[in-house]
Formats: sequence, C-alpha cells, structure tokens
Amino acid sequence: MLAFFVRRFLSLLPTLALVLVIVFSLVRLIPGDPAVTLLGPGATDNQIAALRLQLNLDAPAVMQFWHYVIGLVHGDLGVSLKSGQPVLNEIMLRLPATLEIAVAAVLAAIVIGTPIGVLSATRPNSGFDHSIRILSLTGVSMPAFLLALVLQLIFATWLGWLPVSGRMSSYVFVDHVTGFAVIDAWLSGEPGAVRSALLHMVLPVTVLAAFLAATLGRFVRATMLETLAEDYVRTARAKGLTRREVVYRHALRTSLLPAITVVGLKFAEMLGGAILTETIFSWPGIGRFMFEAIRNRDYPVIQGATLVFALLFMLTSLMVDLMYALLDPRVRRKMN
Amino acid sequence: MKLTRRLFGALCAAALSLGVSPIGVPMAFGQEASTLVIAVPADAAGLEPGINKAEPIGSEVILNVFDTLVAWESPDFKRLEGRLAKDWSISDDGRTFSFALRDDVTFHDGTPFNSDAVKFSINRTVAMNPYVEATLGLVKDIETPSPTQVIFTLSRPYPAFLSILAQPQSAIVSPTAVEKYGDDFANHPVGTGPFKFRAYQPDTRIVLDANSEYFRGAPQLHRLIYTVIPEASTRRLELENGGVDIIQQAGQLSAVPSEEMAAFVDNADIQILESPSQIIRQLEFNNSLRDGPFADPRVRRAIAMAIDYDGLLDGVFEGTAERVYGPLTSNSWAFDPAVQDLAPKYDPAAARALLQEASVDPAALTVKLYSFQGALWGAVATFVQANLADIGVHVDIAQTEFPSYRALHVAGEWEMALDGRQPWYNDPDAHITIGYLSSLKDSAMTFRMPKNDGLDAKILAAQGEADMETRKAMYSEIQQEIVAQVPAAYLFSPKLIVFARANIDGLVVNSAPPLNEYWGVSKN
Repeated sequence: MLAFFVRRFLSLLPTLALVLVIVFSLVRLIPGDPAVTLLGPGATDNQIAALRLQLNLDAPAVMQFWHYVIGLVHGDLGVSLKSGQPVLNEIMLRLPATLEIAVAAVLAAIVIGTPIGVLSATRPNSGFDHSIRILSLTGVSMPAFLLALVLQLIFATWLGWLPVSGRMSSYVFVDHVTGFAVIDAWLSGEPGAVRSALLHMVLPVTVLAAFLAATLGRFVRATMLETLAEDYVRTARAKGLTRREVVYRHALRTSLLPAITVVGLKFAEMLGGAILTETIFSWPGIGRFMFEAIRNRDYPVIQGATLVFALLFMLTSLMVDLMYALLDPRVRRKMN
Repeated sequence: MKLTRRLFGALCAAALSLGVSPIGVPMAFGQEASTLVIAVPADAAGLEPGINKAEPIGSEVILNVFDTLVAWESPDFKRLEGRLAKDWSISDDGRTFSFALRDDVTFHDGTPFNSDAVKFSINRTVAMNPYVEATLGLVKDIETPSPTQVIFTLSRPYPAFLSILAQPQSAIVSPTAVEKYGDDFANHPVGTGPFKFRAYQPDTRIVLDANSEYFRGAPQLHRLIYTVIPEASTRRLELENGGVDIIQQAGQLSAVPSEEMAAFVDNADIQILESPSQIIRQLEFNNSLRDGPFADPRVRRAIAMAIDYDGLLDGVFEGTAERVYGPLTSNSWAFDPAVQDLAPKYDPAAARALLQEASVDPAALTVKLYSFQGALWGAVATFVQANLADIGVHVDIAQTEFPSYRALHVAGEWEMALDGRQPWYNDPDAHITIGYLSSLKDSAMTFRMPKNDGLDAKILAAQGEADMETRKAMYSEIQQEIVAQVPAAYLFSPKLIVFARANIDGLVVNSAPPLNEYWGVSKN
C-alpha cells in the first residue's frame, strides 16, 4: 500500500509541470498588459513603457519562463506585480481565511447531509423523504449569491442576530498571528473577539454548506437505496440482524464511498476559493484574490495560485483514495 | 453511527437555541463612538507615496497619514492653502518656487520636519516613480538654504506645479523611517499627518490611529478603519445596519449609484453628501480620420445635436451627474461660460437637416460605438444608441475589456468611442494638454486631434503661462476653438457621492484630487 501512495505521489509531478506550462502560456495569451491595467485609462505610452521596464515584462516569454522555473526550484513563486510582495506570502496570508470556512462547511455538510440521506433512503417516498428531496433540490439549485443575500437580509438586517460581512467586528482589534480569525482572536485575549469571529463565520459557512449538504444528502440517499437492494443486505437481514444493524453497519459503509469522492472534490474546489461567497461576505480569501489577480493580469500571482490550487487538489484526491482503502476492504486488497 | 445521529440532534438543538437566544453583534466598550469605519470596494494598491500611481484608495490613506506642502482649500477648491508650507512665492518667469516651511512639525517617529525632508521626499519620488516623469520630473534642482526654506527650480515654467505638490506622490516622508525600513516602508508608512499608520491586513482593512500631536490640532476621531467590502449590496446593508459609517465615492466607480440613492434618500439614519467633480465623460470622435463621414464637422455636430443630454442625466443618472459643455467642467477655475452657448444643443430635427446638408444618408450609416465595460457605460451606450436611432443612424455597441480597448483606441482603429478623464490635479492642464495636444494622439487615449500647429502652440503656451489672469484668457480661447470643432459630444460629469451615517459630522467631499480628509470629521 505504501508503494501505491509513493507511486501516486510521484505521478503528481508531471501533472504539476503540465499545469505550470499551460497556465504560464494561457495568462500571456489573454489580451491585455499588466502595466496598462495597473495604470488605468489616463496613462500615456511613456508611463506604461517605464512601468513595463520596472516590472521586467519586456524579456522574451521563454526567458521569463526559465527564470520562473529556476525560482520555483528554490521555492520562490515570484513577486506580485500589483503589490510588489512575494506571491507565496500573499497566498499564505489569504489561504487561512478560505481554509477556515471550507473546513467548517465540509464538516457541517457531512453532519447534516449524511443523516438526511440515510433517513430518506430508509423511508423512501414517505412524507419526510419528499420534503427532504424538495429541500435538497432547492439547496442544489439555489445560486450561492441569492442564498447569501437572503440570509443577510433575514439574519443580519431583519433580525440583527448576525453580522452582515467581514471576519471580525471593526471595533475589535486583533493582531495577525496565524491568519485563522478564531485562533488569532483566542490568542489575543480581547474580550468578545472569539465570539465575534465565530458569529462572522455562520452565514458564509451556511451558504457553502447548504449546497454541499444537499448534494451529499441526495447522493447518500441514492446509493443507499441501491445498496439496500443488494443480495448481501438481504442475506444480513435473513441472518436475523436488526434493521438498524443492517443499515448502519453494512449498508452505510459501502454507500459512503461515492459520497466521499463528492465531498473530497467539493472540498478541493472550496480550497480554490468560493469567489461569489467570499465577495458577498467580504471574506478575504484566496478566491477573491485570484479573481482580482486575473483582472489585473498579475501573472506571477495567477501562476503561483494555480500551482498551489493544483497541488491542493491532487493532495485531496490522494486523501480520498486513502479514505477508500480505510473504509472498504475490497479496495485495500486491490491496492496490495 | 449512533454518534452521528446524536450529533445531528445536538446540532439541531444548537441551531434552535441560536435562533431563540438574543445574540447581538459584539460591541467593544465605547470605542465605536470615536472609531470611523469607511467601506471601500477594493484593497489599496499601496501606501507608499514614492510609487503612488493615483489609485484612489491608497492615495486617500496617504493623504491622511502624510502631509503635502500645500493643499486646495475646501469646500470650493479655488485657492491653495499652506500645509507644511507657511507661505510661498513664484518667480516672474514661473520657474522658481520658494517655500517658507513650518518649524513646529515632527513626524510620527519623532524625526523633526525640515527642508531636508522635503528635498529627500521629492527626489525619492522622482527616482522611484515613472508615473510622475512629466510633472515632478520637471524639477531641475532643489535648494535648502535653511531648515525652513526650500526652493524648487523647474526646467521650464509650469504653473500647475503647485497643484502637483498637493498630490499624494508629493507627500513628505520621514527620512529616518525610510532609512530604517528600506523597501518595507510601504508597510510602515511614517508621515506628519493627522493619523498614524497602525495595521494593514490585505484585502481586509487598514487601521489608522489618531496623531494626538498633529500640528493643526489632534483629530476628533481616535481611530480610522478602511474596510474592504467588494460587493455593492453588502456595502449598502452594512451602512444600513451601522456596521460601517461611510461608503465612499460610489459616483466615480463603474456603477450608477442611483439605486443606493433611492434606498438611502428616505432613511433618516443616512446622509448623502455630494460634490461636483472634474470628471468628464464624452462620446468622442476619432478626429484624425481623413475620410469617412466623421471627417466632416457637420456630421460630428449632427451627432452631438442628436443626444438628449438632459434626458441622459434624468433617465440614466437620476441626478447623480451634471452637464458638461466643453473640455472643462463648469467648476474649473478656467471654465469659460461662453462655451455653454457654443456647445451643440439637443435638436434632432436640426441634426437630420445637418446630415442632409452634408449629403450623408443616415440609413447608409452604421457605426460601431466602442465603450468601456460595466453597467454604467452600458447604460450610457444604449441611451446614445437610441438617440442616434432617432435621426436614423444605426449604432452597434462594442463594450470592450479595458486593456484591449486601450490598445485599439491608441492605435486609432475606431470612429466613435465613449471615453473620459478624471483629472487628479486641479488645473485645466490636466484635461486640455493630454486630451487635445495633437502630438500626443498616438501615445494615450486622447481625442486624436488632427495635426494643428496653431492649437498645439496655444495649449503649450497656456500650460507654461505664469500670470493666472492671462492664463485664464488663454484657456478661454482654447476652449472656444475646441468646441467649435466638435471633437466630441460632451455627455456628463458624475458627481462625487459619499453616503454616511447621520451622526457623522464635518466631512467634506473633495474633487481634485477626489480624496477626502478625516482630520476634521467627528462622530456623535
């Protein structure tokens, strides 16, 4: 099994290299010059030429690529054209914000989506099943921005229970230590800071979790129904096991496999940042950062962030494989 | 799996209890009363005066952390007042600017302010910033005969130089702090201004604390926070909820703020502050084209007469923009009121007659109207399209992403385009020189004026004239000559609009540069 994972890990390298080449050429193929974008409509050609020189944009693309790869080998992702700060620092400053809500959303979705799926599958076509199916269909098809707005209107404006946006009340000042608002708030010891950080998380996490919980619920329900019709389930029933034991010990395990794939992929996607959710809740995550970088043609940031996303995505799918092996003895046997 | 079910139950219960217990957003201890929260749509591009490129958010922070030698006097911006300079004089040839400096000012780090700091700061910006080549780049020499005296000598006369010294690029930085932080000065800006830099969290907020030693008196606020809220609807909810105190300058951004206006106008908790700007938006012609219908001034005039200017202001802008008649806005000190009568007026019948006189068949005329992207430009383009359809001209709208738009504009591959200019220094030079000097037509987004030595000479002479009355007369002549050629249909000038909570006092909306100062602002 170890050999399997080493092999899988090594196979990531050519994929990453391919991603690098594609991104490097694609960003340069988009029409538009970073110097033009940075200076805006009022600039003259002289000003633009001077900035291009300063940003070293005039070197041939091949040379730029070569320097970039050399830098990568030394762990250097380059410098943002807009801010002049190292790209890796810029990414690391924003990744915790994204991680914070992505992890919370996945946990919430698993905790809500799985039982819902199981309960619906064990009572197919009951009133409960129908109402859950309508709810989850709504969850899947409701655009994130709409749900976000509705939640803001109800819980922030109308009821006044939760903050509209941001990660922390403006009136609480917390120093940046880890980048995770809750942890930094706790470390700061400021009264009310942890509470403020948690309350600010509720709405964005709900929006992210709603879609995932609904997807997961539908998935678990479908596979569970299928599994419950399998021969081995009938055998287990015939052996005299209780319905509960059959459902939770035998059927659920196998039904969870496809669900894990879905959760894993969705989680990886969330690490790439949820642009709409981050924008509406003014959540300073990686998604918005990438969006702005593309608008500004900030080549090093686009390249660096894409590489980091690709790596995170691959690691997540590796984790999913690992979970498969843990849950299903048949998969484990095949790997060895 | 029993655990899962139990957890699920607990979660439901938690959700329910969350629902019934009254949770307020935490408020920390009386600080709200003296902390001002300003919502801005994007992160500041940087807080370093040396490399500032007139990006609005960072520039405003700079002007609140640093001081300049002079600044335009609010609220009407017709006169300069001294800040770090007590007094100044300009030599008769318009090339030497002498300043008497204050002697009672210290930087936030305790360094005393003096003429060496002025020389250091301006030289530093010139060395670091290609953006100021055409302006501060004119400085040939800076002399510091005493700690309170500084004398600038320019390579040629440039009366707008005082205006340039009021810009964020000309802010005076602490030389000791620059030495201490080096390249990291952008993250530790140290000036003499009413607020001291406290913290910058990328994409989140910038925190400034009051400078109680400020030479004009301590600010009334104790803290100023710029919080980044990219989404317009979120900014609105935050202001309505009191999560932020001010939403800034919605007017000059890419959306029409009329929706916000409608939402806020009846809200007693919110005040709407507005001020005319010097921004001009126009439908311009490629004036360098030798053939094609628009080479004929009569056709250009007909197009300009087909546009219902007041309808545009009412219908699209709902009072958030003002009329423009020519190359300068009505609030510029050099504006010539005669231009108002010379400018083409809305008259579709006369427009059709003019086309006929020029023997142009409007039905045979199909024009592509290039424009920036965004809802505001889209609305304007559609309005113009409908107006021109009334005189029989068919218009196709091509909203183009900015970098591509600039490229095709500068290359001159267009006939008609929506464009505009937002001048940062309060001088007619900012509109006239770059917009209408024919020699610049291939190097920037201009009106692409055809080669005209007479007009070019007048523009350059006015740019360098030291006597203000003479200068104003020169600009009158230039405005009239330009308007007579109908290089564009001047569409509108958006107002600068700030939405603030009703308890905010003392905020003045600045126009050129469009950056506000918070020294005199208080929260009740």
